[in-house]
Amino acid sequence: MFRKLMSKSAMKSPWLYHINSGSCNGCDIELVACLTPRYDAERFGFKLAGTPRHADIVVVSGPITSQSKDRLVRTLAQVPEPKCVVSIGSCPRSGNVFKGSYSIEGPLEKYVHVDVSVAGCTPKPEAIMEGLYQAAQILKKKREVMGK
Amino acid sequence: MPETAQYILWTAFYILIFPGALFTSVVGLFLAGVDRKVIAHMQRRIGPPIRQPMYDFFKLLGKETIIPHAANKFVFLAAPVIGFVSLAIIMLFIPIFGFTAVSGSADLIVILYLITIGGVALIVGGSASGSPYAGIGVSREMVTMMSYELPFVLVLLAVARKVGGSTLVFSMEQISQWQVENGHMLFQWSMIPAAIAFLLIIPAEVGMQPFDVAEAETEICEGPLIEYSGAPLAVFKLNTAMKMIIMTGLFTSLFLGQFRTGYYWADALLFVAICTVLTILCMTTVHAVTARLKIEHLFKFYWTIVTGLALSSLILVWLGL
Repeated sequence: MFRKLMSKSAMKSPWLYHINSGSCNGCDIELVACLTPRYDAERFGFKLAGTPRHADIVVVSGPITSQSKDRLVRTLAQVPEPKCVVSIGSCPRSGNVFKGSYSIEGPLEKYVHVDVSVAGCTPKPEAIMEGLYQAAQILKKKREVMGK
Repeated sequence: MPETAQYILWTAFYILIFPGALFTSVVGLFLAGVDRKVIAHMQRRIGPPIRQPMYDFFKLLGKETIIPHAANKFVFLAAPVIGFVSLAIIMLFIPIFGFTAVSGSADLIVILYLITIGGVALIVGGSASGSPYAGIGVSREMVTMMSYELPFVLVLLAVARKVGGSTLVFSMEQISQWQVENGHMLFQWSMIPAAIAFLLIIPAEVGMQPFDVAEAETEICEGPLIEYSGAPLAVFKLNTAMKMIIMTGLFTSLFLGQFRTGYYWADALLFVAICTVLTILCMTTVHAVTARLKIEHLFKFYWTIVTGLALSSLILVWLGL
């Protein structure tokens, strides 16, 4: 019963940590819009955490520039299990308009397993909310596997 | 010896269940949930359900606990537990109107020390984690504690003198009894500044928004809590929630102690209701309308305005008013 409670809670209280790896700030604004009164992600328990140690879902935006690559990988390693990685926008998926640039080391898939990828340049807050909610459900499954 | 056995059983019940660990945690998490829900409504949001802090707690229990390489492992893990134990024990000394679990002659002093241990646990845990951000958070937490401890002691002295007449009475039971005979402490006009000072101390003690300089998450990444994850973090979050019920409960029994229903369960319900109202009044509302202060402004605020209020009350009481 205690395990069941913990896996239910994992779905109900996912804390976000946002990493900007060279994003143009467009996706970042849309992510913040999710937390504002209009969309109110907190009603599902989403909360922005101050440090990767407290995070459940890591939200990555931007096309992984060579400057931010090492920091991204190190930050991802600091997140305790169970964790989910959500990429926001087209940049972490493909590099978007920056594809082929000498300073881009994407896509994100090269460095970490991406659980949910929200496409768009920029995705609407509704799409981001949908993606985050799916990530919360994946989190629950991961917690169940961890318990066994 | 059946009497000894009974005494041990009752003490265990007090510490573990009714006014102790379980009651304090559940009501504390409930108050934290009410706080989040009400602030969401103030910002025209729907907000998380009231049981959200419980979800947070159980989720954190189910997370991996990472101990950083630079940390002192034993102190790092022991600090939250020490804080939890001291906070769970405080509630035994606070009378829930007619009901007192433990009463002695110097309850107020014990409460003062145990509340300090709750804050010190955060400082010790933060210093043990070996992160520079935690270092900044720890120094700020220490300044915050120094700021509110002075007016806090003055308020308690004023209450003790008011009840004692010509001496100081630190027994919570006598303070409670005095209020049954003479009416709420809050309605003694010489005690009104002290009551306001106490209400202003509550958010700093709990670490709520305008006074959360030590745990500023947007600035120094949650300060002392930066390296914590999993179960120790859950206990620290629980400690914060427990401080909410303890501080509002202390205000209730010091200043609004006249209520008596005659039934212990009704007393407890009324106690929780008053604590909820106080939480909304002095934490949620203040949180919703203010931004975080700087540490020097916090220090100045407490050592001038709040200390002034508490001191004026103490002087009035000392003059026999």
